[in-house]
Amino acid sequence: MRREPRPKRSQYSMTEHTAATVSVAGTRRGRKYAGLFLVAIPVFLVAWMVIWPILTAIPRSLMQVGTDGSTSFSFANYQFFFSDRYSLNNLTVTLWTTMVCAALLLVICLPLALYLRFTSNRIAAFVQSLAIFPMFVPSIILSYAFIRVLGPNGTVDLLLNGVGLPRIRSPYLTPWGPVIGLVWDNIPLTVLILVSGLGAVSNATIEAARDVGARRLAILWHIILPRITNSILVAISFGVLGIFSSFTLPYVLGPAAPEMMGPFMQRTFRDLQNPPMAITQAVITFAFCIVFGLFYIRSVAKNRTP
Amino acid sequence: MSVLKISSVSKYFPGGTKAVDSFSLDVADGELVCLLGPSGSGKSTLLRMVGGFEDPSSGLITIDGEDITHLPPERRPTGMVFQSHALWTHMNVFDNLAFGLKLRRTGKSEIREKVEAVLDLVGLAGYGERKTHQLSGGQQQRVALARSLVLEPKILLLDEPFASLDQHLRERLREEVRDIQQRLKITTLFVTHGQDEALSMADRIVVMRDGRTEQIDRPDVVYRNPQTPFVAGFIGTMNLIDGEVAHGRFHRAGLSLDLPISDGPAILAMRPEALDLSLADQGQAVVHRVTDYGTHGLVDLDLPEAIRVKAMVDHPDRFSTGQSVNLAPRAVAAFRDGRQVFRS
Amino acid sequence: MATLVSRRIDWTGIVFAVLLTIAIIGPLLVVGIWAFTNVWRFPSIIPQEFGLRWWSATLARADVWSSISMSLTLASVVTLLSAIICLPAAYAFARLDFPGRDILFFSFLAGHAFPKFGLLVAIAAIFLQLNLIGTFWGVVLIQLVGTLLFMIWIPVAAFQAVDRRMEEAARDVGAGPFRVFWSITLPQAGPTIAAALLLSFVGTFYETEGAWLIGAPQVRTLPVLMISFINNQPVIQFGAVLSVLLWIPSFIALLFARRVVNSGSFARGFGG
Repeated sequence: MRREPRPKRSQYSMTEHTAATVSVAGTRRGRKYAGLFLVAIPVFLVAWMVIWPILTAIPRSLMQVGTDGSTSFSFANYQFFFSDRYSLNNLTVTLWTTMVCAALLLVICLPLALYLRFTSNRIAAFVQSLAIFPMFVPSIILSYAFIRVLGPNGTVDLLLNGVGLPRIRSPYLTPWGPVIGLVWDNIPLTVLILVSGLGAVSNATIEAARDVGARRLAILWHIILPRITNSILVAISFGVLGIFSSFTLPYVLGPAAPEMMGPFMQRTFRDLQNPPMAITQAVITFAFCIVFGLFYIRSVAKNRTP
Repeated sequence: MSVLKISSVSKYFPGGTKAVDSFSLDVADGELVCLLGPSGSGKSTLLRMVGGFEDPSSGLITIDGEDITHLPPERRPTGMVFQSHALWTHMNVFDNLAFGLKLRRTGKSEIREKVEAVLDLVGLAGYGERKTHQLSGGQQQRVALARSLVLEPKILLLDEPFASLDQHLRERLREEVRDIQQRLKITTLFVTHGQDEALSMADRIVVMRDGRTEQIDRPDVVYRNPQTPFVAGFIGTMNLIDGEVAHGRFHRAGLSLDLPISDGPAILAMRPEALDLSLADQGQAVVHRVTDYGTHGLVDLDLPEAIRVKAMVDHPDRFSTGQSVNLAPRAVAAFRDGRQVFRS
Repeated sequence: MATLVSRRIDWTGIVFAVLLTIAIIGPLLVVGIWAFTNVWRFPSIIPQEFGLRWWSATLARADVWSSISMSLTLASVVTLLSAIICLPAAYAFARLDFPGRDILFFSFLAGHAFPKFGLLVAIAAIFLQLNLIGTFWGVVLIQLVGTLLFMIWIPVAAFQAVDRRMEEAARDVGAGPFRVFWSITLPQAGPTIAAALLLSFVGTFYETEGAWLIGAPQVRTLPVLMISFINNQPVIQFGAVLSVLLWIPSFIALLFARRVVNSGSFARGFGG
């Protein structure tokens, strides 16, 4: 009743509908390209600094510069990477860190999200604020704080010493250092995505299940989890994309060898001054993450109609 | 002295749907014309074309003889009041009204005078400093009206302005708007899908359907003398019965009435208030339900062939469910091929 | 579940609250204490001497000041440029129809489908040829690209939320398209756009990876300085004071952006 309904169309072509509504008399023809003009610079930036580097990364990684300055294509960089013990160790530790982080994130955030979805009191509001808080803490401050807490002579050592217990083996400069930092850093978005997914599970559904006698675990397993599978996958994809090539936390908290792909690429690029090799490592990172990236984009695009 | 002329205006939307199909209308100076129709009838699109928010695909719109068909809204002498008021929530009432005047480079003191005068006109004197969200729904709609009036438009356009208000407020506001319109003698085009609104406010009503005009007439004429079965059914309550005319008599559902038209199919139309009931054994109809509205009653009647009609009665307590009655229409109309062919 | 929990003491909540406080506030608190400590030798559980000695020492360092001004300049320039190029684009995506609109809108997601540091390395290779490595404008460019997605997507949502009839009413009283944008659309979308600008500023201020890969050591932002403190600085308090300083903009962001972040639309923007 609000305005004259036009023929029903799919949600996708709603965009035409809105555009038609805006077309004000006398200005219609010029508008068609005015839009393109307005979006030109950001689109150009994305094309130049995102699409182009990605598209050219593969040819660049295949390029070999000979001693005489001539260039040729070969798989030498990839052959080197996959035969080099050190490179492979780095890849392995990256995969290990990513998987451990993803698992820990789920174990920590799923109960948190469930609690936040089904409780609304002051404690829940406080817990939610805490869970979102790390989003506002830059990872570099976080790294520093962890060194002070978990590092040698850090707070944990102090407290253990204070009650007469022996020191722990510090995770600082071991593969566990980055794991702790990365999990901490990724809690807010994981919780937010899961809570948002749980929002789609209506109270009525759960009450109906309880009505027919389902217990809590049964409700979780049969009613809630199937409905938030997609959100869990999105949360994992988002986490994996961030963790796989993270730089700051593994660079500061992790061991010098094996190192994660982020610091490895940085060192190859800047310290070893070998950009083709660094790009080869980047392409390998892309390859490992492509499934998660595509899934992530698909979910976001599905949720957001322009 | 402002006259609005709409000549054969059409609007096609992408995909080829015709929202408005070759529509023509002249609105005389100081006249209030209502565009009435169900949703999808093209009435809002038409109004938006007059306001400049839609570009007509073809046709001509003039105000006092001046072609405004393709002018942008800011260059038209029209003022529009939107459904759900569309007040600018980041400005107070005064700024909402002053915005258009400022754009016209009106002096500060003159702006103040004009705004105060128009606030007084809509009964909101002293409300200038209020935020829009501090106003009630009716007050917001009055401010929206004032915002249009303060610019002294030649043509006032109202797009279902009361749709978001409750019944009581709606009735009060439409009286107020009608009063203001008559005091200012402003030429007005009003869109509504509520027949009460159209019947109580308009000088003339345009009944629209599928982007075309069904009938243009004074409210009482539209009610008493509908020219098409659509208008008959859309305005007020009307009993419409599809039947067959043979030898000057209409037959259907046990009814048999004189209808002096040629043989063939016809639609019989009877208002509930023009239908007399009398109790009878073995009558033409059976009382299905009786509803008492206090001032009058409505009786739902079952005729054979699963046809139901309504009759208005003065004393509903005289009828009860299951009784057998005879009906005698005092006035009927008949339609064939979408046009009125008979009226008694 | 809600009914079961709310009538009794919310033990689950208390356990979560305690654990999260220890894990999330704890480390930052430790840094805060270090920043106001003059002397804290192992194995004392509390510092031997509190004081502001290291604040004056930190603030006396030229490299701290130069990197603060570098970070502020960088964040301001990037936010300004981003607003100039993204807000009109966002308006176009929200309100205008043009060929390729949908695909261009989603193209801003492309950068987020790839692991960030890998993408940075690929970009750095191009910057190497253009001699942008180690330059201020190289860092500006890399940060600018990082702000595009939310500087377009968040304002698009804000513009779309503006009642179109408000804009039409402004046209009706005589405002041209640009005036409508300036006087009606922008103020209406204002709070959300302000949040996006804030995110852009804070995000650029803290961005470490692009700055380190593209800028260091010539362009030294605060986070880059912080890395070198962690790597090479034996005096713990320098890092602690710098952390507290660094966290100030973040705290402001926290205050302003809470509403935006807590709303479901924010998480949906991430595909939740």
